[in-house]
Amino acid sequence: MTSDVDEGSQAVWQQLFSDGQTLSALMPEFVMLMGIIALIVVPNLGKARIRLPLTKIRIPWLFGGQRFKATSDPRMPAIISIATLLISTILALASLMGNATRWILYSGESTNMIVLLKVDGFARIFEILFFGALMLAAVATISRMPASKPSKNLSVKALIDNRRQVDFHILLLMSGLGMAIVALSQDLFMLFLGLELASLAIYVLVAFHKESKAGTEGGVKYFIVGATASAIGLYGMSLLYIWHGNLQVSSHIFYADSGVIVIQGLDRAFANADALAYIALGMMLVGFGFKVSAVPFHFAAPDAYSGASSPIAGVLATASKAMGFIGLMRILLLISLPEGDGSAAWLICLATLSVITMTWGNIAALGSDNPKRMLAYSSVAHAGYMMAALTAVGAWRWGHISAPEEAATWVVTAIMFHLVVLVTFKLGAFLVLALLELDGGASRSGALSGLARRDPVIAASMFIFMLSLAGVPPLAGFMSKFMLITGIVNVAAGDAGSLIASGGITAFGDLHWVWWLAFAVFINSAISLFYYLRIGVIMFFEEAESDRRRPLPRAWFLRLAIWSCALGAFTFGVAGDHLIVLCNNAAESFFALS
Amino acid sequence: MSKNMSKKAIFEREFSIVATLVVGAGALLLSFPLFFEEAVGEIDWITIPMVAFPILGSIILLALASQQPRGMKEKMAFPVKAASLGFSLFILAISSALFFGWLGSIDWTTLKINEYNMNHEYTWINSLGISWHVGLDGLSFPMLWLTTLIIPITMITTWEENSGWYHHPLLLLMEGSLIGVFVALDMFMFYVFWELTLIPMFFLILKWGGKDRRYAAQKFFLYTFTASVIMLLGLITLYFLQDPSQYLIDRGVLTGRTFSMIDMTNNAQMAANNGSVWLGESMQNALFLMLMLGFLVKLPAVPFHTWLPDAHVQAPTSGSMVLAGVMLKMGAYGMFRLPLTLFPHALAEYQYLLLAIGMISLVYGSIVCLGQTNLKRMVAYSSVSHMGIVILGIASMQPLGFAGAIFMMFAHGIISPMLFSVCGSFKHHYHTLEIGSTRGLAKASPFLGVYMMFSWMASLGLPLLAGFVAEITVLVAVWMTFGWWVLLPALVLVITAGYYLWSMQRTIFEGSGEVVLPEGMAVEDARDISPWENIGNLLMALLIVLFGVLPWIIWDMMSAYANAHFYFNMGGLLNLVAGGA
Repeated sequence: MTSDVDEGSQAVWQQLFSDGQTLSALMPEFVMLMGIIALIVVPNLGKARIRLPLTKIRIPWLFGGQRFKATSDPRMPAIISIATLLISTILALASLMGNATRWILYSGESTNMIVLLKVDGFARIFEILFFGALMLAAVATISRMPASKPSKNLSVKALIDNRRQVDFHILLLMSGLGMAIVALSQDLFMLFLGLELASLAIYVLVAFHKESKAGTEGGVKYFIVGATASAIGLYGMSLLYIWHGNLQVSSHIFYADSGVIVIQGLDRAFANADALAYIALGMMLVGFGFKVSAVPFHFAAPDAYSGASSPIAGVLATASKAMGFIGLMRILLLISLPEGDGSAAWLICLATLSVITMTWGNIAALGSDNPKRMLAYSSVAHAGYMMAALTAVGAWRWGHISAPEEAATWVVTAIMFHLVVLVTFKLGAFLVLALLELDGGASRSGALSGLARRDPVIAASMFIFMLSLAGVPPLAGFMSKFMLITGIVNVAAGDAGSLIASGGITAFGDLHWVWWLAFAVFINSAISLFYYLRIGVIMFFEEAESDRRRPLPRAWFLRLAIWSCALGAFTFGVAGDHLIVLCNNAAESFFALS
Repeated sequence: MSKNMSKKAIFEREFSIVATLVVGAGALLLSFPLFFEEAVGEIDWITIPMVAFPILGSIILLALASQQPRGMKEKMAFPVKAASLGFSLFILAISSALFFGWLGSIDWTTLKINEYNMNHEYTWINSLGISWHVGLDGLSFPMLWLTTLIIPITMITTWEENSGWYHHPLLLLMEGSLIGVFVALDMFMFYVFWELTLIPMFFLILKWGGKDRRYAAQKFFLYTFTASVIMLLGLITLYFLQDPSQYLIDRGVLTGRTFSMIDMTNNAQMAANNGSVWLGESMQNALFLMLMLGFLVKLPAVPFHTWLPDAHVQAPTSGSMVLAGVMLKMGAYGMFRLPLTLFPHALAEYQYLLLAIGMISLVYGSIVCLGQTNLKRMVAYSSVSHMGIVILGIASMQPLGFAGAIFMMFAHGIISPMLFSVCGSFKHHYHTLEIGSTRGLAKASPFLGVYMMFSWMASLGLPLLAGFVAEITVLVAVWMTFGWWVLLPALVLVITAGYYLWSMQRTIFEGSGEVVLPEGMAVEDARDISPWENIGNLLMALLIVLFGVLPWIIWDMMSAYANAHFYFNMGGLLNLVAGGA
């Protein structure tokens, strides 16, 4: 694999939990943990007193009893969770700046050392993505599932919403913690741990609104399919464990005082892969393929997205998908890329899957009337585009490209950029649907009719999100799709540039066949434009339905979230250079060995 | 948003919108590193006054007007229209000042190929080698001037239509995007503005169009978008066929390549000077076809023209005027700027294909025209056939042919808005677009009759009007290269002229003083066109006469460009011309 050592700092090796250094390395995650604990403890603070046995002395034991007014306010959990997410995001950002230390956290000693977590730019950017998406969802939920001040005259719905505030936000933070662990993990089992923590929390969040049948049905379907996919993925991991002996993703060299410790990871082992390893790889592809909603593992996704409340569906579409892509990138780009010549074993398989995924997603979306279902299928299509970019990396050593590491880094940069900006417009689109849910429902396209007349700013934002999803300049969605295509064409063109400059000739047929994947991505973009434009036409052209003529609810928090997303979609499209450089640094640290 | 919103609430809302816009614009400017200005000391007249100003201005107008309570919105129509017209006149003043040398004398006729006036470059997306690079030369300046002319004329002509408060700002947005296409010297920037033009036109057709506007708007957007992404794929492939040199200053930091058109043209020129075919034959042919696909669909050329009649018939007058006047020219402009300059070998290879496409467009467009009864559809097909003349000029591969094609772009750019404005007036006052439903128009609406006749005369190429110069030069160039094949387009032009004369004669003059009106219209209702329409049409008519009688005002820079294209830099091209210069 890439043998480049980072020019700047070497990573600092630190045994997990051996001393306080772990804390400073994992500050954001620690803050998340504190947030979860706070959410459990704070609403339960009360006037409980414990009587010492055999005496009459009562000591105030603040946990339980008549709850304090301030801390048991139903609006408190949202504040705690948003504050936690905000602090974690700021800490993650801070650890990206300047000459930040990179940490490698391991457990065990000398011969049985296992590298567990690696804190680097790659992990931090994904954490910012996760926490940002969850923060937007939490802010949206303040309006979507409002907590009212406790009083005598609350409706049943308000009372129920007050009761379940804490549950919602605990689950949100738990999924955030799980996602952070996935981003950090260097060991497949650790990755699975984080994946399951996040997934289980999300399964409950999808089915959270028990009163709606669609929600419960979607949640159960998603849970059953997800559990099955995870089980298959775990079985694949166990096969890998049998085959290799440990589940380390990359190999490491540790210069300890007692000597040099070499940890053989799966990446080196895959040079001698046999049937068992390939079967295991295939099974893990199933597990992660479900998470990114690739065909044919995506069947539960449309029901889940349309059944969940819109902010949660947005989290599914952005953060959960990013989590799946981290796993996919780890197994495809770190473990199973070949050392010598020849393409990756999974090249044809992934190419076929990606083309089918994008085409299926777009064509199914064409026929959807439910906006949330349509966005679910568009998610499937976007997963297909990113998988096409991943496929290109698999063609890396076919003999025509002399700097495959740069090509691979560029593709990872493009995928990261795409996942980050996806938060702005995909989550933004779901937030607009959340606003419509407040208004009376967003499960038919008729809900969007005449939105331009009812609320021009929201309609304009929705149109920006739709155009961005389609890949129309000058928005962020165009920039990210453009970068994915450049990643693919870079590999396809290979060394043709320097060959031509030195006087050689290149025929069109000399381009690697992955070029046609780029063609497929563009054709699918054109197909997808139809249903994105259809939303625009419905909003601007049709009359509002007769029972939905009144203005949309005020919901200032939700509107603030929507406007920031629209601004982000525009800004990253026009001035995305800083983010590209950030993602590129992160991609380089993804491939760096130490 | 009820009518009874308190002043405080209105203020809050407006403040939040303006604050968002200001913060957004500030963020944009801050992250837009304007560090590298190539021509130090020269004021950049292009970026802020001509590209940023109309786009930002239209967004601000739209945002402010949209936030007014319902009762106020109608009252906002006049100030917003006036502001849009004022902005576009300001831009026209700047571009005319650039033309007539009032802002310092600028020489257009001694530019070599790949040399540009007012060449300014700013870093934009450094990691990919994308820069904000603007400049003008003898090809793009006429198009720029045409755009800045047509938009105010369109605004004036459609002043009185009951089009609400966001019609004119959309035209302003259109203007900014179109100018961006013509001044862009970076391929990424070119593509961004190319697609940006689709959005205002989509809204213009959707909001103010005819009966099938929904279908037409979507077809227009989807059809041209699909072709454009294929063009983009060609551009990206071209980008990656550059030699990655990561240590040159003006290359992309992370990819070692650049999207600059100037760099591409230099590479192509170096290969041509070596005598080799740049990038290899098969690659050049493939890239040429990909790029041409995008431009041929935009032009539009048969068989990719089917979006145009629907878009034109369903579009409102202003939409049609801008679509036919300027947007179609983007396709031809793109052809000149990219495939023709970079891939001369492929051009020679596909010369006969282009000849066929041009001939078919011209002949098919004209013949289908004859069968139309809908006035706007007839004009739409005449646009198709005139763009066929542009392709013929390109296929002839003569400097005269190239210059004639560019002049046709310019002349048609003034004539066809006039045709569409006349159609619009006809529809507006007679409530129908059927030819033959009216007779003796001259008596009921004399001004309309005059302008209608004038515009049709200009369209069929009457001498002393601008269209004639274009047609005669292209036909001469076709004769020079292809010999007696020129008879086919010449005869077709004659036949179509005959048909136009006949149908106009029926509509305008027949009836011996009696006016025959469409069914259901009483004689008193027949009115002549309004003063605003009068002014707009008069301006266009004067321009058509001006460029017909004194074509060298603009011909000189076009012909200089065409000559430069051939003789100074693409010497190899001469050897590839079938039939000699």
